[in-house]
Amino acid sequence: PHPSTGGGGIAPLTEQEEEEQPLQAVLVADSFNRRFFPISKDQPRALLPLGNVAMIDYTLEFLTSTGVQETFVFCCWMSNKIKDHLLKSKWCRPTSPNVVHIITSDLYRSLGDVLRDVDAKNLVRNDFILVYGDVVSNIDVSQALQEHRHRRKVDKNISVMTMVFKESSPGHKSRCEEDDVIVAMDSKSKRVLHYQKTQGLKKLQFPMNIFQHGSDEFEIRHDLLDCHISICSPQVAELFTDNFDYQTRNDFVRGILVNEEILGNQIHLYVTQDGYGARVSNLQMYDSVSSDMVRRWVYPLTPEANFTDQQGQGCTHSRHNVYRGAEVSLGHGSQMEENVLIGRDTSIGANCHISNSVIGNNCTIGDNVVLDRAHMWNNVHISSNVEIHQSVVCDGAVVKEAVHLNKQCVLAYNVVIGPNLSLPDGTVVSMHHPEEEEEDDDDEFLSDDQEVGHSKDKTRQKAFNPAEVGPEGKGYIWKASMNDTEDEELAQCLWGLVLNPDPESDSESEASEESQDRSRSVSPEIDDVNAFQLEVLGTLQRGLEENIVCDNLVLEINSLKYAYNITLKEVMQILTRVVLEYPFQQQGTQLTTLQYTGSLLPLLKTWSPVFKNYIKRAQDHLDCLSAVEELFLEQDTHQTAMVKVLMKMYQLEILEEEAILKWFSTGATNDKSRQLRKNQGKQRMSLQRKESEEDESSEEGE
Amino acid sequence: MGQLVNSDNRMPGADKEADLTERIEAFLADLKRGGCGTGPIRGSGETARETTALLRKVTAQARWSSAGDLMEIIRKEGRRMTAAQPSETTVGNMVLRVLKIIREEYARSRGSSEETDQQESLHKLLTSGGLSEENFRQHFVHLKANVIEAINELLTELDGTTDNIAMQALEHIHSNEVIMTVGRSRTVEAFLKDAARKRKFHVIVAECAPFCQGHEMATNLSKASIETTVIADAAIFAVMSRVNKVIIGTQTVLANGGLRAVNGTHTVALAARHHSTPLIVCAPMFKLSPQFPNEEDTFHKFVSPHEVLPFTEGEILSKVNVHCPVFDYVPPELITLFISNIGGNAPSYIYRLMSELYHPEDHDL
Repeated sequence: PHPSTGGGGIAPLTEQEEEEQPLQAVLVADSFNRRFFPISKDQPRALLPLGNVAMIDYTLEFLTSTGVQETFVFCCWMSNKIKDHLLKSKWCRPTSPNVVHIITSDLYRSLGDVLRDVDAKNLVRNDFILVYGDVVSNIDVSQALQEHRHRRKVDKNISVMTMVFKESSPGHKSRCEEDDVIVAMDSKSKRVLHYQKTQGLKKLQFPMNIFQHGSDEFEIRHDLLDCHISICSPQVAELFTDNFDYQTRNDFVRGILVNEEILGNQIHLYVTQDGYGARVSNLQMYDSVSSDMVRRWVYPLTPEANFTDQQGQGCTHSRHNVYRGAEVSLGHGSQMEENVLIGRDTSIGANCHISNSVIGNNCTIGDNVVLDRAHMWNNVHISSNVEIHQSVVCDGAVVKEAVHLNKQCVLAYNVVIGPNLSLPDGTVVSMHHPEEEEEDDDDEFLSDDQEVGHSKDKTRQKAFNPAEVGPEGKGYIWKASMNDTEDEELAQCLWGLVLNPDPESDSESEASEESQDRSRSVSPEIDDVNAFQLEVLGTLQRGLEENIVCDNLVLEINSLKYAYNITLKEVMQILTRVVLEYPFQQQGTQLTTLQYTGSLLPLLKTWSPVFKNYIKRAQDHLDCLSAVEELFLEQDTHQTAMVKVLMKMYQLEILEEEAILKWFSTGATNDKSRQLRKNQGKQRMSLQRKESEEDESSEEGE
Repeated sequence: MGQLVNSDNRMPGADKEADLTERIEAFLADLKRGGCGTGPIRGSGETARETTALLRKVTAQARWSSAGDLMEIIRKEGRRMTAAQPSETTVGNMVLRVLKIIREEYARSRGSSEETDQQESLHKLLTSGGLSEENFRQHFVHLKANVIEAINELLTELDGTTDNIAMQALEHIHSNEVIMTVGRSRTVEAFLKDAARKRKFHVIVAECAPFCQGHEMATNLSKASIETTVIADAAIFAVMSRVNKVIIGTQTVLANGGLRAVNGTHTVALAARHHSTPLIVCAPMFKLSPQFPNEEDTFHKFVSPHEVLPFTEGEILSKVNVHCPVFDYVPPELITLFISNIGGNAPSYIYRLMSELYHPEDHDL
């Protein structure tokens, strides 16, 4: 219904014309992950209500108030719902100062795809703002925009992107641990020199070259909250097209920084102190953004402002941040203590205690109910004597008598719970059976045995487990039947990483250490290396199960090497690591040394051709040895096994004698420094013992 | 709105209406976003002018045949405008003024004088209702032109308010006096500057935390070579004994003669009362609102707590509740004098001014 503002051919613009161009924005109304599953199975994330207003409305209001005149909304998952919502909203009225174009496609798989499409369709003509559909913000980016334009004018388009950050010290509840970043920047030019997600790492490493950059002032900051708002030049879209492997903004930023010398592109950042900006990337963030909103941090985007201009959405604001919509009834003796938002037509029974909660429209709540940090959406029915703490209750859910929801529970759409039940922390109940979901999603996580098991599941699918959801309950526990580690991780991630000090970060730190130790010059490609490692593990595993010939394994690893852009040296190191860790991987870390060697040695024999393929030159031998060494330094309880491993490798002619001896002579000094660091006397003893044994073995060999 | 949109489909008219709706929407959006903490970006005088100009545009461009229609349209727009930012009372005041203008013009066209009908006696109140809505149905050719003319007069009046108030400065400020003010008010600034052309005096400005508009005020005053001192809000009471006069601005003058003014004004008023220092309020007539202070919901305005406790504080924010109200209520008994563009008035006289400015039937939009 909108007059399209003639896309297509872009004539070269004079500067004057450039100034007059309307400000454009690209809004990605899809998260491209399944963080909010099972909630987002029924409703796209951008439409989930935050303070009884869909999240995308906050984002659009933010864009409009900063002066954006044309917004492209890209939707993928459940695009029809988003489209319907937008067409009904005030953004699509003819008087809207911000013209919204909706672009849908099922083919978008990542932010990268969207930006490539932006480039292909020639949508943006000038600097544009890039945001996700779940960003809540009141930051005035015009200042940042000005700085960005100024830089581009002065520096001949070298700066391609300005990221907007908000200052907030560590420990702030609105900081999302996943998005925790550490940024090294030039304090004068605000140029980003190094950008890394901390991901819970204890140890961080910075490439040396950033310190030698010749700038006088230099900052390393960890007090920044990523608002996920970026001001991009049209080049960004082109760069995404050129580098088809960029999937996320993270990839992009890293790519730009690594290739800075080659391409000459720079990224800058803008740090704001006032204003609010955060992305609802998981339920933990949802909880804190919602409470920030009720506490008026996002002013003027407050509930009573009714900025979406919807009829009947207005509410009143009174002391202690209590907001009431129209026609709210409150029973005798009920208290709304503080930070409470109640939507219209909601009725609350007697003697209830409500604090720090958001309740949607048309809800009914019984007597003696305690709600604390509860997020209830629309049409929820709560019976009497219910207690809910820090949980999300989605549309249409029914909670029967005397149910107790502990922290971080989620009741997805139309679930019925109770009566007389207490759900433990972190329970997620959904009307979707976890396995049904696996099936109709046809993604790569699907493994064969699950498909076989599915026919059996179908029969029991109709029956709800009364022990889980109560005698009258309807719904399935989302997480419990997951045996796949991958999915378990996803389900937990609903509430963010706070719940699980994840196993992922450990391996990540190893991986980064590894890559950093070897190749100090490059900034870490943690994700690639890590992904590659996982892939290699998978390949070997399959090789073992299906008896695949080693030559084919080599072939596969080689192709992976190209896919992830891994150097030959790293391939070998990772391969060594994967093989040596294989017993732990399969049987848990509690193995005794004897068991470990027992299971490892046959494996080495099976895979020796693979090793031989990669370990050819003398340097390769040394690299392989150092990988072995590193692994056993970490697994210090199994250090005695190292001797046997080396022995076996020698016997299988994977490693040469000279290499082992040479490694030993150089390695010892190396180790000393390590020992100094770790204060571990034991290590040296084992090394000495190893030496003697090695000597023997080499003699034997001769 | 329905009136505007459905009325006609001739192209030029439709175009004009689209333009009008767009302008109204833009104004509403502006109001909603207005005032990110440090008070409205533009002064209330400007808001009043803008509202009036917009209402004039509505009068000129909307389709109406009788005064009743027009009043209905203005009321409808007025309701939306006041709902957009309830704390910005000048918008509502201007809507009421325009409604009053329409009533008067209609009455004049009919030949009867609205003013004489408005004598407030109990008898009149009982028998009134004579000139109610259905009586506004009569069509007059010149009504539109007359209303627009009257609105133009209102605009001229609005343009002159600050000057009119400033002109009275010399009557109130004498040489070598010590004047205290709080925060920043454009009216007070003009008032003091005007007095400074002839007299020498000393101004003490309370900084008015957390927004500290007082700093800006002090800078502006000292640029006009007025001797100025900035004090912290906590020092108000201590300094008050030296002060000869307190001159403040306000956001709204309420129907009972009380004020809704920037935070910290109540402190100043109480200190002034304790020391029997006269408290003078510079308030143009358009700030006079028929609102009473007991209307809880819209009375207060809470903005982002950022200024009180910065977001950067980290962990503590999850443990405390921080509020940042913008306005204080100052009861009428603490106020000595109002200086408006039509002269000085005591707080007890406000009700009278109110009945002159607004029609009693319009008080609720």
